[in-house]
Amino acid sequence: MGTKKFLTGLGATATAVKMADVDVITSFPIRPYTGVMMILSQMVANGELDAEFVHADGEHAQLSISHGASAAGARTFTGSSGVGVTYAFETYSPISGGRCPVQMLIADRTLDPPGDFGSEHTDALGCRDQGWIMGWAETPQEVFDNTLIYYRIGEDPQVRLPQFNCHDGYFVSHIPGEVEIPEQSQVDEFLPPYQPVHPLNPQNPVGHGPQIFPGQGPALEAMRHNAMMAAMPVIEEVIDDFGRIFGRKYAPFVEEFMTDDAEFVFFINGAHAHTARYAIKHLREKGVKVGLVKIRFIRPWPTDALQESLSKFKAVGVIETNSSFGIARGGGILAPEVCASLYDAPQKPLIASFMGGLGGEPITLNEFSFIAEKLKKIAESGKIEKPVYWLGFEE
Amino acid sequence: MKSYEVKIQKEKLLPEAGIVEAPPPNGEQESMITGCWRVLRPVIDHEKCTMCKSCWIFCPDQAVEIIEEEITFKLKYCKGCGICANVCPVGAIERVPELDFEDGVVRLEKLF
Repeated sequence: MGTKKFLTGLGATATAVKMADVDVITSFPIRPYTGVMMILSQMVANGELDAEFVHADGEHAQLSISHGASAAGARTFTGSSGVGVTYAFETYSPISGGRCPVQMLIADRTLDPPGDFGSEHTDALGCRDQGWIMGWAETPQEVFDNTLIYYRIGEDPQVRLPQFNCHDGYFVSHIPGEVEIPEQSQVDEFLPPYQPVHPLNPQNPVGHGPQIFPGQGPALEAMRHNAMMAAMPVIEEVIDDFGRIFGRKYAPFVEEFMTDDAEFVFFINGAHAHTARYAIKHLREKGVKVGLVKIRFIRPWPTDALQESLSKFKAVGVIETNSSFGIARGGGILAPEVCASLYDAPQKPLIASFMGGLGGEPITLNEFSFIAEKLKKIAESGKIEKPVYWLGFEE
Repeated sequence: MKSYEVKIQKEKLLPEAGIVEAPPPNGEQESMITGCWRVLRPVIDHEKCTMCKSCWIFCPDQAVEIIEEEITFKLKYCKGCGICANVCPVGAIERVPELDFEDGVVRLEKLF
């Protein structure tokens, strides 16, 4: 049996990275993610982890080194936060197009200006269309588990895609929680060594990322699309296998909490799901029929699983810790995708978004109560007064 | 679960990630014939040529060959960039529009 430890999200990530026996780690400092590199560099220096640790001259180089290392067949770990994530933007499509299963930790941070360092999901969500598997963890335990789970999904021969392993900066990255550390033999059983198909090798030279003709473009894009779609059944299979080996059973895509008789739900990703659970228990005591739907993967977006889950409710409040200025419905990035998922559902809930936790603010109990009050009104009246509410600015 | 997979016909499939085998030592990659990119074709005046081989050294695409002690251009791969004409110290290489040739690269039915 494994042991239990109090670890921050970053400590949990570093422990999982070590147990996954990664070959190449590339770093560049930016808070809050940077703590993981402090821990990993110590592990390498102490001889606990046999990996190449490369300190790059910026995030663009950091990701490019990871790309090369992965192309040569290495299991690769990297990470960033906020504007560090966006500085490396150019490299994301080449890495997924090259089908290199690099894993990148994103501990969310607001984008500038000004130099706020709190958690907001826009840094990672801005990269959602680059062909990377993407999802959020809520607790250090889930961070630990996702790190192993993402490698297994990304390295699957049917998928072979890089992964953004995201969690909220500070709320998850810096607040310790109990983490069950499994035996190394369990990790080895779950995550066998990476088997690259066409590794860069001087003995058998191949060309990666060649110039192509326009006529070759459609097939390569369709193949990358198919890889992302193939990730859906692979995710279900991997989550099952994870439960069998480690005894923790996750919902593959959509986790529900107190939804059995719920009339309306909070729809959420990431750390704020943790406080939402507390708020829901509190609201339930007052007789409010509210539940929680937490999405575990943003890419691939689980259209069918969401449709099945959300169709049961009268109203859905999408809680957005991100911004997309000028997007459809004028709120955040998630609500339009939630609406699109339900477009062809025979029965669908009314949907409103709630912009909350921006700038790295917590979402308070009062704010959750406000959301519940608005959703109750929507559910009872069958009408949406406003598609978007900005928490803290509403009358 | 609904299928969101795109059915790709066999003849349209490419190797994963478009990965290509390394070209043979002569640099001729059959899956990437670039001669059709050319607008201006290099033409050499052998009377002027001193066989200094600057063009052979500077060609970035290994498209200059020396056959029987004469400079020859591999037109299947020469992109017509003109570096050879630029580095020639005696002006022996002229760049002639493809339109002037009967077999010129102007409108190819098939690119490769």
